[in-house]
Amino acid sequence: MQPPEVDLSSCDLEPIRVPGSIQPHGRMLVLEPGSLELVAWSDNWPIGQLQAAQQALRGTALPALQPGARPVSLGALRVAEETFDVAAHRSDRHLFAEFEAALPTAGNEAPIYSLGRVFLPKLQEAGTLEQLTQLAAAEMKRLTGFGRCLIYRFDAAGHGEVLAEEADPGYDSYTGHRFPASDIPQQARALYLVNQFRLIADAGYTPVPLRAADPALTAADLDLSQSQLRSVSPIHLEYMRNMGTLASMSVSIVIDGKLWGLISCHDHRPRFLDTGTRLACEHLGQLLSLQIHSKESNVAVAERLELRQLTLQIVSHLSDSDATLQRLVAEPSLMLRLARATGAAVVRDDEVWSVGDVPVRAQVLELASWIAGIGTDVYESSELPAHFAPAAEFRDVAAGVLAISISQVHRHLILWFRPEIVQTIQWAGNPQKPKAAASGRIHPRLSFSSWAEEVRGRSAAWTSAEVGAAVELRQALIGVVLRRAEELAAVATELGRVNKELEAFSYTVSHDLRAPMRHIAGYVDLVAQTEGRQLSERAHRYLGHVKDAAAFAGQMVDALLDFSRMGRAALKQRLVDTKPLVDGLVRELARLEPSRRIEWQVDAALPALYADPLLLQVAVRNLLANAVKYSRTRNPQRITVRAIRGELGNGLEVQDNGVGFQMKYVDKLFGVFQRLHRAEEFEGTGIGLANVKRIVERHGGTVWAKGVMDEGATFGFVLPHREPGNDHAVGTPRDNGEQHA
Amino acid sequence: MLKPILLVEDDKRDLELTLIALERSQLANDVIVLRDGAMALDYLRREGEYAERAEGNPAVILLDLKLPKVTGLEVLQAVRADAGLRSIPVVMLTSSQEESDVLRSYEFGVNAYVVKPVAFDQFVSAIAELGIFWAVLNEPPPGSLKATRRNE
Repeated sequence: MQPPEVDLSSCDLEPIRVPGSIQPHGRMLVLEPGSLELVAWSDNWPIGQLQAAQQALRGTALPALQPGARPVSLGALRVAEETFDVAAHRSDRHLFAEFEAALPTAGNEAPIYSLGRVFLPKLQEAGTLEQLTQLAAAEMKRLTGFGRCLIYRFDAAGHGEVLAEEADPGYDSYTGHRFPASDIPQQARALYLVNQFRLIADAGYTPVPLRAADPALTAADLDLSQSQLRSVSPIHLEYMRNMGTLASMSVSIVIDGKLWGLISCHDHRPRFLDTGTRLACEHLGQLLSLQIHSKESNVAVAERLELRQLTLQIVSHLSDSDATLQRLVAEPSLMLRLARATGAAVVRDDEVWSVGDVPVRAQVLELASWIAGIGTDVYESSELPAHFAPAAEFRDVAAGVLAISISQVHRHLILWFRPEIVQTIQWAGNPQKPKAAASGRIHPRLSFSSWAEEVRGRSAAWTSAEVGAAVELRQALIGVVLRRAEELAAVATELGRVNKELEAFSYTVSHDLRAPMRHIAGYVDLVAQTEGRQLSERAHRYLGHVKDAAAFAGQMVDALLDFSRMGRAALKQRLVDTKPLVDGLVRELARLEPSRRIEWQVDAALPALYADPLLLQVAVRNLLANAVKYSRTRNPQRITVRAIRGELGNGLEVQDNGVGFQMKYVDKLFGVFQRLHRAEEFEGTGIGLANVKRIVERHGGTVWAKGVMDEGATFGFVLPHREPGNDHAVGTPRDNGEQHA
Repeated sequence: MLKPILLVEDDKRDLELTLIALERSQLANDVIVLRDGAMALDYLRREGEYAERAEGNPAVILLDLKLPKVTGLEVLQAVRADAGLRSIPVVMLTSSQEESDVLRSYEFGVNAYVVKPVAFDQFVSAIAELGIFWAVLNEPPPGSLKATRRNE
């Protein structure tokens, strides 16, 4: 048979289930399931034996076969003086019977019994996965006599990693090697699940074609998935010959319906296995699968329990505290242990709290943004740089990341990091190397010599238990966060209510106090006007005091009302040029006290501030009026207005050479109705600076005061720069006051 | 005969001071004093106690904002909702400088809003100005005009 011209890239497309031929160490009959009429047969039946074989089958339990079920041994059948071991199975359309010459059993014990008697107890004692697989490799080799027996496991990417090996001298060792995923194409992997045993007794065999009774029937009509004799891919045979292997046998290790790995045996010479041994091999594979499964389950359960314990500790720690997610990093050992990480970070919008080794803040934020953008609750990667290019910069601390997102609305994430582990992988052949094209034909895998690859940008992988723990922590945190949010909302509602009550109170008080003040002032005036002539000098003086007191109380009430209103009125912010504002106020103050000689020094260039013009004027007027008031005793009075320009914002500073104050009282200055001087020294309600502070803070700015007793005081404030893109300014921004005429 | 000025004020001191102020402004109009909003509405609608009063609307209503039973704002609303009363000028007199009160008063169609000054002389002049403007100088809307002007 001419080997077909194949392109390896089409490996995945090769119709290996329906090769239309079998291996020559057996014979096949294909029957119509109902009538048992011959549909097709292998070409290696001697003349005249077809009918005999068909006849022999009639005496067996064929009708009980279920379509798709594993082959059933029909025992030994005699066909024309020859004894065959016969196995049969059904596909949807056909019934397949496979005949292999029965060999006399070696010894007095079927191989399968020794498995149960000797191997199983040893297997149960094995403590680790390595011990398990090593035992299985040795047992398999003993059972089959193959020259080399490997046990390997597939990783997530499909690469095979050799876990255990038992080999005769003269066989290459593959211990610790990896076989690239491309060595086993997709449909072959699928077939390993359906048909868990495969023997290629002689890689140099010539396939025996199947002949059909009806010429219209093609190879594609005969599904040999379950067949033991199925002819294998010519590519695979070439692969074997390249590898110097003339016989191979494999048993699938299937766990939870997935192909976990393979037991794979090779021999330099052709090697045939009798039915009994084959059954024992399949059995061994199943025993090993069960043991690995239970071992992995135990490990996973133990790990889960431990991690759940940690999650509980973390959450209880968090619920006890009154703080938010950032408290997670207050207990670093728990957080890091939970994900066996070397660093962890809590990201809340633009804030980052971290513990252990983490990338710098900007990098954490960038990564968090990227992960948040993916929109999954949980993200994990043990090769972050491959998915997120900027991670190459910090792979030494975070080549792997596990992240949970606490909120879909806000950027609230928790991230764990693992550093890069530079791994050297021994490949059995370069998995990336294009298959060498020699002599015009494309060959599979000419080279099996070891090829070492240094793998960078990867961390240790996150186990499913670790990811599970992160998911659990996420659930718990969402619970905590939600509860906290509810509490906050309740507090906010209560605050709002109290605030409203307070506003209503101050409104009512101010409003209702105004009337009696007015009445006092009014009646005093009336008395003075109507009875003035009959009153003594002293009575006039008393009436004067009553009037002044009433007027002052009236001012106080007005100031209180203003103060309360300042907290409520909406800000109508725009860019305000402070130079004309200050100049105007200076003129106004000069007019009010024409007798005073004040030396005003106002910076030529005052900044433009983004503020509510009316409120800003109230604030600046208060500062200037204060400076005038408290420097009254000086001659000359000196008042300086300076521009403040800084990163946090721009503002003004007003300095006077007045009575000053002691710095220890600085905190009292801005309080409502706080005074540092006796009332008769300086008039005023004591609410002016409180108003200044309230106005500045409502604009998001800050106020300050500096004073030296008997030397003077300086009051200043800055307002934040206007947010970019929020330009609702009326008129032109003017930072340079000199332009102002 | 001049149309009267209707003064609605519950605080007796404010009332006395307002009357003194009106007196000093030397307006010749009668001043009808009512002490709450409900009475004011009865008077204006000629209902209840005032069912028998002579026809004719006041020249102006000086209305305190805070009144028992029916507040000044409610009286204002009722006046503006009544076709027969709608054209009477209403001046809100109040102690409140609250923006919301001012806004609502204007929303309901007040003609003027006066915050009572604390100082008595200012109070007197404010009331005098109001009286002169609304009771004497203000031209009532056409149609509501009756031959009751001072110079007739």
